[in-house]
Amino acid sequence: MAQIKLDGTSKVFGDITVIPPLDLEIGKGEFVVFVGPSGSGKSTLLRLIAGLEQVSGGRIYIEGRDITTTPCGDRGLAMVFQSYALYPHMTVRQNMAFPLEMAGEAKASINRSIEETAHVLDITRFLDRRPAQLSGGQRQRVAIGRAIVRNPTAFLFDEPLSNLDAALRSSTRLEIMKLHQQLGATMIYVTHDQVEAMTMADRIVVLNHGKIEQVGTPQELYERPANLFVAEFIGAPRMNRIEGEAAAALGAGTIGVRPEHIRIVQESGLWQATVEVIENLGAESHVHTRSDVAGPLVVRMSGSPGVKIGDRIGLSPADGFVHRFDRHGMALR
Amino acid sequence: MRTIPQQREGRLLLVPLVTFLLVFLSFPALVDIVYALSDVTFQTMRAPELVGLRNFGTVLADPEFWSACWFSLRFGGLTAFIECALGLALAIFLSPIVCRYGWTIAILMLPMMVAPSMVGLMYRLVLHEFAGPLPYYLTLWSGTSPAFLDAGHAFWTLVVVEVLQWTPFAFLLFHVAYISISSEIREAAAMDKAGAWRILWRIELPMMKATIAIALGIRFIDGFRVFDNVFTLTGAGAGGSTTSLSIYIYQSFFKGGQIGQAVAASALLFFTSLIVLYAGGMLKSYRERRRVAA
Ligand SMILES: Nc1ncnc2c1ncn2[C@@H]1O[C@H](COP(=O)(O)OP(=O)(O)O)[C@@H](O)[C@H]1O
Ligand SMILES: [Mg+2]
Repeated sequence: MAQIKLDGTSKVFGDITVIPPLDLEIGKGEFVVFVGPSGSGKSTLLRLIAGLEQVSGGRIYIEGRDITTTPCGDRGLAMVFQSYALYPHMTVRQNMAFPLEMAGEAKASINRSIEETAHVLDITRFLDRRPAQLSGGQRQRVAIGRAIVRNPTAFLFDEPLSNLDAALRSSTRLEIMKLHQQLGATMIYVTHDQVEAMTMADRIVVLNHGKIEQVGTPQELYERPANLFVAEFIGAPRMNRIEGEAAAALGAGTIGVRPEHIRIVQESGLWQATVEVIENLGAESHVHTRSDVAGPLVVRMSGSPGVKIGDRIGLSPADGFVHRFDRHGMALR
Repeated sequence: MRTIPQQREGRLLLVPLVTFLLVFLSFPALVDIVYALSDVTFQTMRAPELVGLRNFGTVLADPEFWSACWFSLRFGGLTAFIECALGLALAIFLSPIVCRYGWTIAILMLPMMVAPSMVGLMYRLVLHEFAGPLPYYLTLWSGTSPAFLDAGHAFWTLVVVEVLQWTPFAFLLFHVAYISISSEIREAAAMDKAGAWRILWRIELPMMKATIAIALGIRFIDGFRVFDNVFTLTGAGAGGSTTSLSIYIYQSFFKGGQIGQAVAASALLFFTSLIVLYAGGMLKSYRERRRVAA
């Protein structure tokens, strides 16, 4: 049974429809990621579920209970904010105790919960510090700790890693995934970073202008994007997009081929191209080429490329990895 | 290049500040110290006759000095407290309106734009026993009107006048502190099941603590040394009932011509505030040390 269910939920700010009515079901224990470009309504959707915004239409259910008008504190959800939103005048311990005190728990059980959670997150050393005395990564842990102590029905994360540096971001990402396995709790995670979405999610919800473009596992989204938007949003470097004659030859308005699915073949090959730029990352290289009929094409290959800038080469898409889209950008199957 | 040893460099950098202090403070301070220790009138200002601590003794033995101190203390404390309480309430309850319509701030700020002496004069007219409109209408409607400026009521009249003029100042400080609390903090507290009152008491007020302390301090100092609006509204007041410390010093200086005593009184005021400030600083650092140790 779905644990969180949106039924025709919509949100209008003034006369701007930020979220047109949408349906979505999130299962118990699932890790769902809302991903989309900035301004696509990810935060708004999350805040509707949290109860920080009132819906303009439709209903929201948690465990079968209609909570559309329930105040945010009574929905049993915990949220980790982008800015962490720790209470600056309280110590870490007091920060974590706050939700439990508000819930009217006894002093002894509050202390026990805090000790346990602090142990899990390895923040016992910081318990008596103020947030200002912690680094960004430590604050992040405390914010997660404050969410965990309450033992909520589901966790909501709004771009929790965007204030961390790259190294910390990937390690915290792993920790959140471990935490998800450990707790087995439902998590909804908002990000604009498709790498985060692909690596963390059980299921990804791709949003664009408040509309759900596709819902599916990372693999499904990668292999069978429902439309051009999803095809181009998921995967890096971006999928090559080819229009015109070359596409018409395959009976499509547009075709898309991922850079890792194009091979360099000397002379022969479907498309003739000139090498323009080479990015060598060590383990792999991205060869940027310009093709005569297909326009700019990026080729991703493992190891170092066997070509030089200015070389004339032939390019061939791998069989079965050409995505075809109609004139409206919908996938042709 | 020759390098200057660090200690000497530090002293070198202090030179402008010290020069400034010497030029602007040392002359008046020296004169003050000399006068406070001398028997001096307007006639003998250029030839003060040193008499030791006699002026201090006279001032400390003067019951009027003590009643002026008491007036200033009561006035400063009371007005600071009321202004901050009102300002805080306004800042919190009006914040949705003020955030939405920025121009309302200008209206709320209006009383602060008027010179305090003008405010005193204005209320002197408005509250005048025979000419003032307020006593007139009060008598018209209820048959009687309190004598706002007599010995029994003058203190409270002054408190109301001061509060009306300076609450906007406290409001402005609190408004800025209140809106600078990030909305995510409030939302986090709401998600943590805290209601509006608990958010106010547990989150917002503690986060505004420093601003509240500063506003109380500034308003207390301003109320304690009050002069101009009291001077224009009631002067020393009937039977000296509104003699603030500043008015006491002014009177002994210009009216009594007892310059030595007046300066001694102001020196006492200076040392007292120095001690209070120092004690406050000690208390703060003590509490900090205790917190770090804990
Ligand atoms: N309180 C608000 N009032 C008006 N418009 C808003 C408000 N909050 C968000 N929006 C608009 O809704 C759209 C989606 O915002 P948001 O959900 O924050 O996007 P995302 O989190 O995907 O970047 C944006 O165009 C934004 O301008
Ligand atoms: Mg957002």
